[in-house]
Amino acid sequence: MVYDGIILSLLIGFFRGGSLKGLAYMKLKWGWLFPLLLGIEICIFLLQNKLSVIASLSNYLFIAIYIVGLAFLWLNRHNQGFMIIFIGVLLNFIVMALNGGRMPVSIEASQFLGLEYIDALKAGTYGKHMAIDNSTLLPFLGDIIPLSAPYPKEQVISIGDVVMNVGAFIFIQHLMLDYKNDKSSLQTVNEGR
Amino acid sequence: MYLNRYPFSKHYKKLYIAVISILGLGLFILENSFYAQPLEDWVLIYMLSGAILLLNHFLVYLPPKDNTFSMDSAIYLACIFLYGLDLTLDVLFLNNLIYALYKNKIVWWKHLFNFSMYSLMIISSYYSFIVFGGEIGGVNTHNIFSHLISLIVYLTLNITLMSLFFIFSSPGTLFNVFKGVLKIGILKESFVSYSVTLLLSLVLTILMTEEKYFGLFLFTILVVLISFAFSKFLYLYQDVSEKANKDYLTGLYNHGFFKNVLDEQFSKWSKLKEPFCVALLDLDDFKKYNDSNGHLQGDELLKFFGEFLKTEMESEKYVLARYGGEEFAAFMKNTTKDEAYVVLDRLRKKVNDTYFAGVENLPYRCLSFSCGIAEYEKGTYDAGELIHKADKALYYAKAQGKNNVQVYDEKNVCFDAMQFKEELDAIEQQLKIFLSKDVYTYRHSKRVFKYAIEFSEKLQLGEHEKQTLILGALVHDIGKLEVPRDIINKEGKLEPHEWEIIKKHVTWGKEILAADKRFEELIPLVELHHERYDGKGYPYGLKGEEIPKLARILCIIDSFDAMTTERPYQRTKTFEEAIEELRRCAGKQFDPTFVEPFIDMIKTNNLKRQRLFAN
Repeated sequence: MVYDGIILSLLIGFFRGGSLKGLAYMKLKWGWLFPLLLGIEICIFLLQNKLSVIASLSNYLFIAIYIVGLAFLWLNRHNQGFMIIFIGVLLNFIVMALNGGRMPVSIEASQFLGLEYIDALKAGTYGKHMAIDNSTLLPFLGDIIPLSAPYPKEQVISIGDVVMNVGAFIFIQHLMLDYKNDKSSLQTVNEGR
Repeated sequence: MYLNRYPFSKHYKKLYIAVISILGLGLFILENSFYAQPLEDWVLIYMLSGAILLLNHFLVYLPPKDNTFSMDSAIYLACIFLYGLDLTLDVLFLNNLIYALYKNKIVWWKHLFNFSMYSLMIISSYYSFIVFGGEIGGVNTHNIFSHLISLIVYLTLNITLMSLFFIFSSPGTLFNVFKGVLKIGILKESFVSYSVTLLLSLVLTILMTEEKYFGLFLFTILVVLISFAFSKFLYLYQDVSEKANKDYLTGLYNHGFFKNVLDEQFSKWSKLKEPFCVALLDLDDFKKYNDSNGHLQGDELLKFFGEFLKTEMESEKYVLARYGGEEFAAFMKNTTKDEAYVVLDRLRKKVNDTYFAGVENLPYRCLSFSCGIAEYEKGTYDAGELIHKADKALYYAKAQGKNNVQVYDEKNVCFDAMQFKEELDAIEQQLKIFLSKDVYTYRHSKRVFKYAIEFSEKLQLGEHEKQTLILGALVHDIGKLEVPRDIINKEGKLEPHEWEIIKKHVTWGKEILAADKRFEELIPLVELHHERYDGKGYPYGLKGEEIPKLARILCIIDSFDAMTTERPYQRTKTFEEAIEELRRCAGKQFDPTFVEPFIDMIKTNNLKRQRLFAN
């Protein structure tokens, strides 16, 4: 879902006459943190089925990654859209933290994703996710929004994901389009008087 | 009419907001069960809230004014028809929560009031829908009546709550405010946009019954696109109207727009009751600048000064315009004359310190302007009068040696002694031509001038009126310059056509004076000093008070002197005979209020002279 949003934002940005040159003007504090977190996450993903230590700790590790990620977003909140991304991530984080580090998923909403997926969910063996039941806290923040036709990729997302994507959309639009204005304002308007 | 005079204080506004907020919030809590929603409904709530947020962001703009309308009501109403009260209130709550976080600069009670107002509207329109037999779950064309009733309830409640808010929050008496609200036309303006919103709610209901999410998606996209289109129109409209209202060279507003703003303010003043000022700024020695630097560079200076004004006086409160040539005007909302003085004097000092190429040749060796300020006072008749006052103050500032700011004041607009002398000299110069042509008129003017000095003292006129009368007396027959010698000096009776020519001297006199801007105020005296109190005079045949006061006074003096001096065509009257004549004609030719004081003055002065003569 996150990638869909970014691709869509880039497409719309190009459509509005923006360019990627704006990316050069991006100023992020602790920018190196982002790829690092991604790397760690991928490592956990790959290793959790091989090393039982990591598997047992994975939920806590994810929570820790979320906290570091939130701190990163907070530090960069002056960027346009980052505050919205922060809120989106926070919403996801809250519901995960309250439910033992796993994202609750609505069974009804994920009907079309296939029986295997639902079985895995119910068994509690599917990655970061689990099925919503009566004991789930704040279920409405979980993955309950089904995306299906005409949307090209079928999936179930949470409201936090949506908010996050809105923030990313605003940030990318700003980067692709508004840097031009910043640059032109450096020129003196009254030159040659 | 006790209510008429009953003033509304801030307490009423607070009380009103508190009552509505408690009522709305209380009903919301009573009706809503936040947690009981099934999960599937939550998806819907998210969708609807998102749609409403989008619609609130992409408002539909309506030119010519910045009127907007939001389609959020259409969604709320469709929501009521389709899913009932619970879900609608959830959507309302979530939406307001997000909006309050998003617009956290707005005071909290405004968010609360808004929320309460909507929940009152939604709850009452839901119940009226149910009472009139409406069924939740779509549009039932056989029972369209219930839909209409709930739409009308929603609309009326909205308008009532908003109008009451405006009434309670504006100062003034109840009656005035009611009139004001009707004049602002909340009802009229909102009616069309409300109808659109309400009908669209039915469209959305039908759409969503057919295709829940996709219908909502279509509707939202459609409205957003319409908003784009309309904002394009608004932009176009504003662009064109900017061009029509702006001065090309300086980018400030133009003369016509400035006058419009001022007229509008005048009609609004009775409602707003805020002080406001008009300031006129005139660049000093701009002609000299043009002469020494060329007109193109002069244009550059105007452009520069316009830019300077714009940056220095950038505020919602000010409307800046290029009033004419090198004259600029500022309309200052909510500003007293003292505040205006401070602002403009600071501006004057700053412009003195600002270098612009070519100012070395100016007398002050820097850029400078003179400024006149006039504040609106209760008796001010119209916008023109205010501008005239500012103009007077500006002239006074120029007379004070330029590069200064003056506030209009009865006292300082009249000429100082020096300037008065100057103008007197200028008129004397013109009069001297009579010495060769018509010595009678020359002497007559001099005598009338002396009488005017004495008489204005006696009448205790204001300083300004005094000076005007004296100058007017000296110059009043200047038009006789144009009358041929043989007619002026003719002995015996004049032929009718010759008399017609004589009568024209008032008009010619006016034309001679109009050539010099300094003498503008003397024109009525010169042109109207042959008008008669009973309306039988010339050139217009004005009657009684229609004739300006000073012209009526001058008429008496002029006639008295004409009667008592030797002229080739008439027998001279003695003072006593002339006094008799004045009394006889009081109320016919002359204004009776001034006849007796004049006779009084003649008698005392004459007596004085006779006594001197005896000694």
